[in-house]
Amino acid sequence: MDSLRLVIVTGKGGVGRSAVAAALALRSVRAGRRTLAISMTESGGLGEHLGVETLGPNPHEIRSGLSALQVERPAALDEYLRLQVGIPKFARLGPLASAFDALASAAPGIREIVTMGKVLYEVRRGDTWDLVVADGPPIGQIGSHLRAPRTVSDLVPTGRIRDQAAWMADILADPARSALVLVTLAEELPALETAEAMIWLQNSKLITTKGVITNRVLEPLGVPVSTGPSKGAVHEAALLHHGLVEEQTKWLKQTPDGPRLPYLFGATGPAEVAERLADLLESL
Amino acid sequence: MTRAILVTGAGGVGKTTLSAAIAVRAARSGKRTLALTVDPARRLADALGVGTLGAVPTANAQLELLWGAMLDAEHSWDAVARRHADPEVAERLVSSEFFRVAARHFPASQSYAAAERMADHLESGEWDVVVVDTPPAAGGIEFFTAPAETRDLVGGRLIRWITGGPLPGRRSLFRIAGRPALRMASAVLGSDLLERVAEFLFDLRTTHDSVSRRAAAIERHFRQASTLVVTTADPAPLREAERFFRELPKVASRPELVVFNRSLPDFWTTAPAPADTPPVLAENLRRWSSEATRQAAHRGEFAAHHKTVVATVPWQPESPTSLHALDELFTRAEGLDVLGF
Repeated sequence: MDSLRLVIVTGKGGVGRSAVAAALALRSVRAGRRTLAISMTESGGLGEHLGVETLGPNPHEIRSGLSALQVERPAALDEYLRLQVGIPKFARLGPLASAFDALASAAPGIREIVTMGKVLYEVRRGDTWDLVVADGPPIGQIGSHLRAPRTVSDLVPTGRIRDQAAWMADILADPARSALVLVTLAEELPALETAEAMIWLQNSKLITTKGVITNRVLEPLGVPVSTGPSKGAVHEAALLHHGLVEEQTKWLKQTPDGPRLPYLFGATGPAEVAERLADLLESL
Repeated sequence: MTRAILVTGAGGVGKTTLSAAIAVRAARSGKRTLALTVDPARRLADALGVGTLGAVPTANAQLELLWGAMLDAEHSWDAVARRHADPEVAERLVSSEFFRVAARHFPASQSYAAAERMADHLESGEWDVVVVDTPPAAGGIEFFTAPAETRDLVGGRLIRWITGGPLPGRRSLFRIAGRPALRMASAVLGSDLLERVAEFLFDLRTTHDSVSRRAAAIERHFRQASTLVVTTADPAPLREAERFFRELPKVASRPELVVFNRSLPDFWTTAPAPADTPPVLAENLRRWSSEATRQAAHRGEFAAHHKTVVATVPWQPESPTSLHALDELFTRAEGLDVLGF
């Protein structure tokens, strides 16, 4: 991933998207890259996985080489209008921001382009970050986000917003600079949704999918359940583990090749989870 | 009166399965039951007998009194427009590019469409119990705020802003050129986008009175319903569950209980492995018991913090795919008896 400037992480809700995004950011910092972690949703868990309680709308240094922020719509919208669309400083933003809000409830791509715009703006500030890791929207919303620059171009035949959309689409589509990472589980719904998303992503050519990470994979016990006691907690835990492995094996067959992260037993908190996943990703 | 049971929670925690299990149990106890589900996994849909269905309830072939239907939101949104607008306007609405987008994109629109369907079923008089597997869109809480947000969208708050005053009677009064802020917005957005959106919003505005009445009725249903919050003991779903307890009382009833799915037995936390246990299996218990301990701690914290009743559903390797397995899940759960089935 050395030349990459942007990694967007997505996946179905509850698969550990934020934990993996945090782990990828930690791995990048450990490799000596100046890294920015961005939460693209306001209710995400990226902050706690990075060991901070809250994230603000501006890059905040968490530790040497690692900064983080959370895209907040009002702040991102102001910044989008000022820095990207080029609304002069003296102009009052209020009315324009309201126009945007009105549009965002009906017109496609407007809401998403503000969020994507913040992420891509940070990527374009070439001298500041070596890598931006974005904890992206859930997989069901990733399409509308990736498509946003194109959607807006189609909707708005002329104007400054259209010009902005062009460079955004370029960065996303450049395989040397941008990649998407999917996180999934070896379970029915995530597996099916990931397979569907893979096809769509491949056809859309909006961004290169770098890999699919399967999270919380259990190792087979290696001995039959019957070698232990025939009842009690040992027996029940072995049965559960065995049954879960069997179920996972079924879905792993339908999961694209890629890194597999183990189920982390006894992790005490989100920050520990991310550190442990980063260790594992380093060794893969 | 029809009793509504709303099953909420983050995506992926087993909400759909639990709603199905509750519906099966309700039907078994002699209630005419409708299971409304959003997006069931194929095998569960088959078990409920809704594999090939749309919005119309279909009887389950194996269990009398159990019916199933899908909440097909994208389709329902068309029905919403046709119900609340004049035929001519409705036609213009459903064929508008912005309407397609609003339907797919305005976060509350799918939820609102689903909520209208729910209300229709609750008012039909055909059911004793309607179990609703709430749509997971953007956290699930949107299902409950959707009536208010939809009222807002069609109620002309946006149009009032765009037109800069009380709602004009005729769309011809709408002039971008007359307002500096709009001129700037229009310059930035290019072309006539703002105008086209405004046209769309004008059409939508005509549905306001009708939508308002319906939204108020839906909100009454929400307040009278029993609400369950489903979660697992993992951080992301727990954050969602917290949000339901914090925010639901503002728009609906307070959740009656929180259901922890994928629960491990409490006794695993202290059960020792017998001396002659193979080391691999003893180690396996040790790891799972550390999970059981973590889960118990989360359940305890949640119950204390929100002063709520907790139910648990045991962790099963395979999700149930038959009526029998769904009923079994209800039986093996602890604490669901407060529902009274």
